[in-house]
Amino acid sequence: MASLGRAERWFAARGWRPFEFQREVWSAYLAGESGLIHAATGTGKTYAAWWGPLLEWAAEHPEEILDLDAPAPKGRNARRAAAAPLRVLWVTPLRALAADTEEALRAPLVSSGIPWTLESRTGDTTPAQRARQGRRLPTALVTTPESLSLLLSRGDAPELFADLRLVVVDEWHELLGTKRGVQMELALARLRALRRGVRTWGLSATIGNLDEAAEALLGVGERAMPARIVRGVEPKEVVVDSLIPPVVERFPWAGHLGTQMLPQVVAAIEEGDSAIVFTNTRSQTEIWYQAILAARPDWAGRIALHHGSLDRRQREWVEQGLRTGELRCVVATSSLDLGVDFSPVDRVLQIGSPKGVARLLQRAGRSGHRPGATSRVTCVPTNVLELVEVAAARDGIGMGAIESRPLVERPLDVLVQHVVTVALGGGFRPNELLAEVRSTRAYADLRDDEWRWTLDFVTNGGEALRGYPEYSRVVTEADGGRWIVDDAGVARRHRQSIGTIVSDAQIAVQYLRGGALGSVEESFIARLKPGDRFTFAGRPLEFVRVRDMKAWVRKAPNVKGAIPRWMGSRLPLSRTLAERLRARLDEASRGIFRDAEMQAVRPVLEVQAKWSRIPRADELLIERVKSREGFHLFVFPFEGRLVHEGLAALLAYRIARLRPITFSLAANDWGIELLAPEEAPLEDALAAGLLAPTNLVEDVPASLNATEMAKRQFREIARVSGLVFPGLPRSGKTARQLQVSSGLFFDVLQRYDPRNLLLTQAHREVLERQLESSRLGRTLERLAAARVVVTTPKRTPPLAFPLLVDRARERVSSETLAERIGKMQLALERAAG
Amino acid sequence: MSDERISVRGEELVLLPERAAYWPARTTLLVADAHFGKAATFRAAAIPVPAGTTDATLGRLDALVDRTGATRVVFLGDFLHAREGRAPATIRALAEWRGRRAALRVTLVRGNHDRHAGDPPRELAIECVDAPAIEGPFAFVHHPAALPEGYAIAGHLHPAATLVGRGRQAERLPCFWFGAGCAVLPAFGEFTGMASVEPSAGDRVFVIADDRVIEVR
Repeated sequence: MASLGRAERWFAARGWRPFEFQREVWSAYLAGESGLIHAATGTGKTYAAWWGPLLEWAAEHPEEILDLDAPAPKGRNARRAAAAPLRVLWVTPLRALAADTEEALRAPLVSSGIPWTLESRTGDTTPAQRARQGRRLPTALVTTPESLSLLLSRGDAPELFADLRLVVVDEWHELLGTKRGVQMELALARLRALRRGVRTWGLSATIGNLDEAAEALLGVGERAMPARIVRGVEPKEVVVDSLIPPVVERFPWAGHLGTQMLPQVVAAIEEGDSAIVFTNTRSQTEIWYQAILAARPDWAGRIALHHGSLDRRQREWVEQGLRTGELRCVVATSSLDLGVDFSPVDRVLQIGSPKGVARLLQRAGRSGHRPGATSRVTCVPTNVLELVEVAAARDGIGMGAIESRPLVERPLDVLVQHVVTVALGGGFRPNELLAEVRSTRAYADLRDDEWRWTLDFVTNGGEALRGYPEYSRVVTEADGGRWIVDDAGVARRHRQSIGTIVSDAQIAVQYLRGGALGSVEESFIARLKPGDRFTFAGRPLEFVRVRDMKAWVRKAPNVKGAIPRWMGSRLPLSRTLAERLRARLDEASRGIFRDAEMQAVRPVLEVQAKWSRIPRADELLIERVKSREGFHLFVFPFEGRLVHEGLAALLAYRIARLRPITFSLAANDWGIELLAPEEAPLEDALAAGLLAPTNLVEDVPASLNATEMAKRQFREIARVSGLVFPGLPRSGKTARQLQVSSGLFFDVLQRYDPRNLLLTQAHREVLERQLESSRLGRTLERLAAARVVVTTPKRTPPLAFPLLVDRARERVSSETLAERIGKMQLALERAAG
Repeated sequence: MSDERISVRGEELVLLPERAAYWPARTTLLVADAHFGKAATFRAAAIPVPAGTTDATLGRLDALVDRTGATRVVFLGDFLHAREGRAPATIRALAEWRGRRAALRVTLVRGNHDRHAGDPPRELAIECVDAPAIEGPFAFVHHPAALPEGYAIAGHLHPAATLVGRGRQAERLPCFWFGAGCAVLPAFGEFTGMASVEPSAGDRVFVIADDRVIEVR
């Protein structure tokens, strides 16, 4: 076995010493093992994974190591041709991280004389670079799951990976529990089949279900690799504190603060030389960037914003600025709490709810980066009630209550996409591919009928399409052997849709004079008229027109107008944090207000207690309020938004069974609102078992069918499985004639192919993933045992207020359409109304 | 089924919940945006739209002809969806329907999709004309426009109206939209979407609520 000496010397030359866990990983890798490394960000996971393959190559090729004192070697192209073929794939979840990862990996190559080529390949890669990589891949390639799937769809995929030794999956916890993570599992299984003995190492933050994370990474069953789970350095001490609003208004805004905390935020940034201000959404990033800049115009050029929808060049400029210390403040989303490596900043601020314990820890880790040093995160409430969540998160950290990432079970849309990918990438034989697919954790329990349906779907379109000769996506080769794609149009559209697994159709935003700014969702641009102003990438812009799949803009004189919103950006409160939140409210109901946060929120909670009640841990609070809008029922289970959405539908469905009524539903992390034009029969419903955890098998699906949730969930499924496409660049008439909304697709499938498994999947996803149905069941058991307290406040109390103003609504109705619209009016042209 | 009647420039029109209009004086059915062959167009591009939409659209048309006693159908554009959708099975279904309804006079006022898809095959015996086709007080067109030649009856928009009510209720439904100089009919085809329209005060709007046409204001 190769010695670790070369790595030890490289560390020593920098005045460092390898951590014990790094040595453990190097030895394990050299012994042929795979595994999962978990530790906080910035504690040396990268080099733990990277030095193994370097040591291995050096031991195999001692004569090829460059003499660093010798004259510079020959030209670039000659070097490229001579360099070793692809040996290491480094997969990172965000393309924003690729450049930075590349830089970190390059350092040891240069100073150790290892003549590898190292490049990135992501959605940001230029066509020229792509073409060069098309001819020959570098020795080590940094890429994203989508770009890896694209490589697997190349006809020469089997040859590309012939010399592959190691796949590293960086930030595995970010991919875990998402469809991109499942896509990654399938890609890993493919790589293991193409290249026997390839090793896999995952890098992850510490999460509650590391064993499952390792299984998902390394596969299950006969083909599974034994997993070594390596724990990195101990997490440093973490301090969580808050900026407390000087005056907490008890009402009427129910504690909504907006950017009122700006002076304190600016003061906190001033305390150090560098700061990161984290927000929960990309829109918030834009808002706070503008606010800070308006407060300190002298910081222009030394403050920046960073989120995943910005153009690559802007992100790189920001990352570089953080590294060199030129930037004193960056406003960012999670695009910066992941691996990008820069020196720790002096202050980390978190705007809005922490949402989860692990997430807050990760963000805190951006300060005081040195192992062992103290990390500190300062939370900034945007609503005073969020202070309770901060206190709850601190409790969670103190108890070591780190969230698990629930995994996704056998999503057929991702499988459909993968099967077409493999058909493109050299083709497959069904039995071999089935064994490969079942070696992943996500599809270990894939049923035979589901597999047959998938094959059927990609070949002849499924049951409802039998006998349609014009349809073919995947075909069997004439000699009866492999299943392949032989249609250029199918291939092109498929490759286009691989990249869209995560988001809605995006449209690039570009200045008329040239510069690219980034991308926003098409639906946002669709609402703009020429001349409208909006703010994006921190700049005031005027919308000119859409052409060639781009939104063309020019600079606007001042900041006015809308800020783009991105879908799916509302993260729910984690279960762990929800539990701690209930405990804190229970204390408050007994008059106990520990910590500065609870003291600050006390006046608001006292109004709540006076007008209604602060629910104890064993109570369920229901508030009935009458307003100009109608009759509101506010219910407070404190279980997180996803569970609440399901619960809202279920409760509305059960009440609506008693008599014809139509509810408009809202849900947030704390509770539920059921709003109706007439008073709901609450007492009758409670007596009839409104909260009973029985009949869930019938009632839950029935209540979901009463809403449009499955139809909305189908948007993503339709995209992933290639039923609808993002706008194709350079698309002519033909592409326009293939445009259809996923909603229409859903309706047509329901009517003409009701047994289509993608529909089944939409319902299942709403149940399992969207609503965390297991959690819904547990919640109902808790609520059924709880004491129900019904209050009838005259005005909307503080806890209910955020629900009252929530705009996102679902509907459950037991009235006929005609009855309903009999009570409605036409929404007229905006100018008239 | 519960229809609605409207008087336009002295002529009566019946608005049908099957998403078409009937002109009793001329025993003529007015049908917009049938988009035959749309599903086949998708299938030709390897996008699996289930079969059955063409038969359902034709079935609804048959039922309407029987219910109204129409002797003539005017398609207000977008009869065929695309050239790629002229699949043998689709054309065969249309020809069989035409065979069953040989006595019916059928006219197509060409629309934007028809230009790309081409006129229907000759054996369907469909008279094809450019817009506007003037008949009585009406100008039959595909694209909505105010015309000097007459009150325009158009399609193209696939109109949907949004209704709002107390308790934050909202509903989006296909509609007939009658403005000052032009009416827009809902899309007839099974596999067609909708686009929200914003009527002005003074316009008359009739929504389709399941099997009823209901005027809203």
